[in-house]
Amino acid sequence: MNTTRAVRVGLSALGIAALVVTAGCSTRGSGGGTGGSGGSGAAAPAVTSAAQVKVALVPGGAHPYFQPWKTAGEQAKTDLGLGGMTFDETGQWDQAKQNAATNSLAAQGYNAMGIFGVSPTDINSTFSDLKSKGITVASLGSCPAGEADQASFCLSTDVQQAAEKATQAAIDAMGGQGVLVHLTGNNVDSNTQRRIAGVKKVIDATGGKVRLLTTVTDIDTDLQTAQKAVSDLLSAQGGQINGIVSTAYNPAVAAAAAVKASKLPIKDVAIDDDPTILAGIRDGSVAATVAQNPVGQAYVGTWALTKLVTGQCTVADPGVSIDSGSFVVDSKNVATYDTQRQDKTKALLEQFQNTVLRCKAQ
Amino acid sequence: MTLLADPDSETQRRPPAARRGRWVLRALTGQRAGLAVVVVVLVIVFGTLRPAFYDSRLVVFPLLRDIATLTVVGLAQLAVLSIGHLNLAVGRMAAFGALVSGFSYQVLGLSLVLGLLLGLLAGAAVGALAGLIITSTGVNSFVVTLGLDFALLGLVTLVYGQFTTLAAFTVKPPGMEELRSFSLADLCAGDLCGSPAVPQLLLLTVVAMAGVGYLFARARTGREMLLTGSNATAAELSGIPTKRRVIGAHTLSGLLSGLAGFMLAVTAGSFTAGIGSAFLIPSFLGPVLGGTALTGGAVSVIGTFMGISLTQVIQQGLTMLGVGLESLNIYLGLILLVALSTVRIRQLFARRRSS
Repeated sequence: MNTTRAVRVGLSALGIAALVVTAGCSTRGSGGGTGGSGGSGAAAPAVTSAAQVKVALVPGGAHPYFQPWKTAGEQAKTDLGLGGMTFDETGQWDQAKQNAATNSLAAQGYNAMGIFGVSPTDINSTFSDLKSKGITVASLGSCPAGEADQASFCLSTDVQQAAEKATQAAIDAMGGQGVLVHLTGNNVDSNTQRRIAGVKKVIDATGGKVRLLTTVTDIDTDLQTAQKAVSDLLSAQGGQINGIVSTAYNPAVAAAAAVKASKLPIKDVAIDDDPTILAGIRDGSVAATVAQNPVGQAYVGTWALTKLVTGQCTVADPGVSIDSGSFVVDSKNVATYDTQRQDKTKALLEQFQNTVLRCKAQ
Repeated sequence: MTLLADPDSETQRRPPAARRGRWVLRALTGQRAGLAVVVVVLVIVFGTLRPAFYDSRLVVFPLLRDIATLTVVGLAQLAVLSIGHLNLAVGRMAAFGALVSGFSYQVLGLSLVLGLLLGLLAGAAVGALAGLIITSTGVNSFVVTLGLDFALLGLVTLVYGQFTTLAAFTVKPPGMEELRSFSLADLCAGDLCGSPAVPQLLLLTVVAMAGVGYLFARARTGREMLLTGSNATAAELSGIPTKRRVIGAHTLSGLLSGLAGFMLAVTAGSFTAGIGSAFLIPSFLGPVLGGTALTGGAVSVIGTFMGISLTQVIQQGLTMLGVGLESLNIYLGLILLVALSTVRIRQLFARRRSS
């Protein structure tokens, strides 16, 4: 028995020793956040042309909102002559999995990334890690929580402002008074807190004419969850609700369908431009929606990343946040709002060229 | 080797030479060795297909950091599996432990170590509560921990909402960033330093594995837990204080959950209510793949590490091969099935040859 134990201990010790000193006499210090020193992290070759730029667009997980990123990224790849472009949604709404995905992409030679961080309070650590490994990073679709942004820039909808616009549209549709319900996403997400603050701010400004009945959170996980929550809400309190404002995708789609089916006189204001919601606006069951600009985020973000990686430009104010735009869409402009959005994308491109980036003279 | 309630009774009846031969054979054909072979083969396959898989900074270091955290999660489940119980609140206990640690740093201004200790205590306290409810009411551990999971979800969300505006504790005490990003290359004895591919966070896992391994392999309390899991009535009749062992196992599970929560918070960068939400499946996957019995009485600490490593290596490899989200989980499931079948087939062949 003792011999056996000795063999076991010996083998374990050998294994641990091999693991611990595999690199031999490596040097002390990992350079802050690099996750260790030495290794295969040789300095990346200087990138001078767009053909050497490989851009990865990384949403937090699969979600219909990000689908335009794919086509916009491909368009940017063609327009700019990039060496590569990929759309990776394997983060599965888990920050650890998203980090694994971005590290894998970096190992595969992607030198620029536009990332929608799963956790706004954690994503700065991810940005710091990637930057320390020579990757140029932009925060797309969502900015990190707090004051600082470790990414080069953030190009995102101002979520609080979008929530304010949606709430104002709902109150206008309700005739300036009544009872409003707010449907939204993950309660412990800082973006949700900003949306809740935006809705509250506009309601407070009515001086009591509008009352917030409830804020239903955590129902953006999938459409089924949202449908059940909206169905329960309308069954229990539908009679006293005058307006619904949704600031997350799945609740917005669920509320649009449920309000139409219930035939209750509820003014519904949604978010994003899912076909269900646009159809609802056309037939009058949805009062309005607030469309965002994912195409602009992906296209302009990829363009700016390319300029930064190739060294043609630098960011004037690193970590700066730029609003990618939000547009109230109602029956009057449902046919034309996309033109307004395309104009915003062009304006964003000019804004980046003129003020956000500092570029060398060609 | 899997630790059984009475592992050595058969081998001790054989002559020493035969015992040694048996041990070597068992070590080579056992579940852990099989898993190790499969992991090594997969590492070679993925590395051949994508040489960047061996990148120490971008792949190996973060991969080992994830394995470190999830192994502790697996150990938390293993603690209660040893007595034949389940802990469905393992993720939420991790969130609760992390909440207390985060609160200690942001509100109380405590040091990294003190906050960690408070987080561990909080996790252990919740685990002990689960054990107390189970032993005093006789309600199944499945039901009790499920209920506790919902209660903790509400409590954790409430506290974050009450004390923060960002729904997270973001203050980083001195040492936290270093623990997150430093490797063994930053630990030197003279000129000799460790590998830059191995995160320092893994040392916490090694300590946890050593502690749990010692408990079940050497300590009387651990053996009594395994006997309780093997046959609670027989254990009771043998004079083992089974209720205390049940409470002890749940306390240990809570403590390890708290440690896993702290490790994930350190890795991610802040303490949020989302911590632990993805822990439940890995908590079972690691121990069960490694040879821990769901019905109690047999645990494998090293097997848990190997099981977690297997799933993480597959996931990382598939991600690097550019497998899309739609196919990722299908391939993950298929490779796991093939891997486990291979291990099982090797065991059957070995058993036939030895008999």
